[in-house]
Amino acid sequence: MFKLFTNMLKEEWRIHSTIFGSLSFALFPVMIFGIAFMGSFLLPLFRAVIPGGDLSMIVHALFLLLGIMVGAFGLIGQEAMNRRFGQASLLAYSARSLPISVQEIFCTFVIKDTVYYFCLWVLPFVGGFALASPFIGIPLSLPALLLLTLTLAFLTGLSVVFFLSTVYARSKLYLGVILALLLISGAGLYLFAGINIALFFPPLMLFYSFSWVLFGFTCAVILCLSAVAVLLFTSEYTDTAQRYSSVLAPIAQRLSFFPYPPLAAKDLIDLSRSGSFIGQTIFSFLIPLGLLWFLLSVLTRLLPPGGVLLLFAILTGVIASTMYTWITAFDSYNSYTCLPVSVRALLTSKICSFTVLQLIPAALIIVVSLLSNGVAYLIPALVLCLSISFFSLAVTVWQTGLSPSVMVYDAKVLVTYLFVLGIALIVLIALSFMNPYYSLASVLLFLPGWLFVRESFMKWDILDQPTF
Amino acid sequence: MPPQVPADVSSGKMDIPLIHYSKNMSLMENSPEIIKALGLFKQYGDVTAIDNVSLSVGKGELFGLLGPNGSGKTTMIKMLTGQVRPTGGSATVLGLDVEKDPIGVRERVGIIPEQETPPSFLTATEYLDFVGDVRHIEDVQKKADWWFDFLDFSDKRDVLCKDLSRGTRQKLMFTQAFLHKPVLALIDEPLINFDPIMQHKVKDYLAEYVKAGNTIFISTHILQIAEEICTGFAILHKGKLLHTGTVALLKERDQHLDDFFLSLVQKDRHV
Repeated sequence: MFKLFTNMLKEEWRIHSTIFGSLSFALFPVMIFGIAFMGSFLLPLFRAVIPGGDLSMIVHALFLLLGIMVGAFGLIGQEAMNRRFGQASLLAYSARSLPISVQEIFCTFVIKDTVYYFCLWVLPFVGGFALASPFIGIPLSLPALLLLTLTLAFLTGLSVVFFLSTVYARSKLYLGVILALLLISGAGLYLFAGINIALFFPPLMLFYSFSWVLFGFTCAVILCLSAVAVLLFTSEYTDTAQRYSSVLAPIAQRLSFFPYPPLAAKDLIDLSRSGSFIGQTIFSFLIPLGLLWFLLSVLTRLLPPGGVLLLFAILTGVIASTMYTWITAFDSYNSYTCLPVSVRALLTSKICSFTVLQLIPAALIIVVSLLSNGVAYLIPALVLCLSISFFSLAVTVWQTGLSPSVMVYDAKVLVTYLFVLGIALIVLIALSFMNPYYSLASVLLFLPGWLFVRESFMKWDILDQPTF
Repeated sequence: MPPQVPADVSSGKMDIPLIHYSKNMSLMENSPEIIKALGLFKQYGDVTAIDNVSLSVGKGELFGLLGPNGSGKTTMIKMLTGQVRPTGGSATVLGLDVEKDPIGVRERVGIIPEQETPPSFLTATEYLDFVGDVRHIEDVQKKADWWFDFLDFSDKRDVLCKDLSRGTRQKLMFTQAFLHKPVLALIDEPLINFDPIMQHKVKDYLAEYVKAGNTIFISTHILQIAEEICTGFAILHKGKLLHTGTVALLKERDQHLDDFFLSLVQKDRHV
């Protein structure tokens, strides 16, 4: 069991270091530590805007979410790795070929995830906060308590996902019933009794008022969920073959104004059927931008009129450009090697699909402008957002070709990207703050953007494509 | 057109094994060369995957590129289909330079890669529609239907490719390669995922396809298959071409391909 545990730890490290590079990944906890340390000095500023209770709720919610995401990746890890690296196999699946029970493997897997992500996220985060605490007048007992409660929040997320996934493997109906009951009781309590169930999240309750009884209860919940998950775990899944009626031709027909309709249609089908469209929109777009809006709103008094909205539009443009990774992540170049499709054609079709996706940031900017009484700045905000998004896309395509999610972790690529984009952003932020309508000049970015794309066609057409 | 064998070899004057008699030479001097490689060389970092390989394949041949695992067979097919660029040397396929016009080559040939990789989130039917669109094939549905029936996977036509078994994915890749009836097909390990019944069916199909005047280039390390269906063959080991010859000639000498292959490779290992 210990040998399996250490090998699983090694495997997890190698998955990450293969994707991000050994050094970059080794520096990741250091980065978390640094961010937490420096971010702690902003706490007094945040406290002036939102109550401290909400802040601790947000932090605990983030670690709960981290647990959920880690658990979900653990369960779909093999498939994700296969898509990215070709044939991959994880130790978690070795019960098929070795005399180890699936329960033992699953149990080791849970312990490994707990230890690994505690060291990767929880410890550096709380460590940074603890180091800053004396400087911002926070007693050291608070980071110690936070270390405990954030670990428990992470473990709750992990155990909930494992529990729900094993229920799902046994019966989709039971899973539906459990989720419906949770949703109905939560909504009922909130609507009819005005009780926010988030306040009854055990690790959060423990953070507000520590007691050994509550601590025991929180641990019991996690252990029960994990034990049930281990007991119910089965590697025998019901037939999951998904069937669909053919939609490629109709979608390609609708996209016939694009240069390569079938390729763009395939991108959109990939996005929809992989589930990444909804998942990425929520987790990679709306949630980060929600957090950004919250952070920027702190600066309202410091920025000129419309400044927050325009700054938000600029950052939305940068984040919107990462939608390029959505349409390349699940599309292996291997699929095209037997067809007469050039890299230039693929890049062109990806840019077309990306254009369709830009409706999302455009809609978001419109909604935020309306909600924040910033309609007067809607047009400059929209132009800024889309210009930056397309410019950033062009730089990404030029630097990373068809493999942005892998190549962006190449230090040279990342530095070039940040340098080129950084110059554009500094100029545009300065212009926007001088006069919001000066930011309309951002349309000029389409010219260098076009040049970058043209250059990338020539660059990537003559290189052997890495088949990640 | 059957391969022409040099007179001194076919008359039996040379000792067996007939190593190097035709090394780096065309067996098909009198027939149009469908594939011609001259001094092909491929380097990946410090590793030499293909080392100065020259060969040619004539029209109407079912040519087998044989070699142990890691001998460079897949790299060779990738270079001949313009998927990777040679570090040195040159190659033409159907008269087109693979380096200058890789898309032109892929337009005209059918390719089945080593790993069956149809797009995960398209159904089998949608994938063939997609291939039809990309290759501008008319009546693609009708043609696809024939293949669904022939390879016996009609019941899987609306299943996502990621949910297909390896064997079915191989059937799908086989279909996409032959959907446009190419004059040349390059197949990496053609039968590896098929059951014996399907292997038999596919072998017959390939033999008929060649009889109709087309050319097939396969790479495999399963020598029984090569001996059964190939006309010409080449043996690759550690990126180097050890031998090119014909199966007919071996049979004439009452020698089996696997014995011949093993002796050749083992000899090279000792060297």
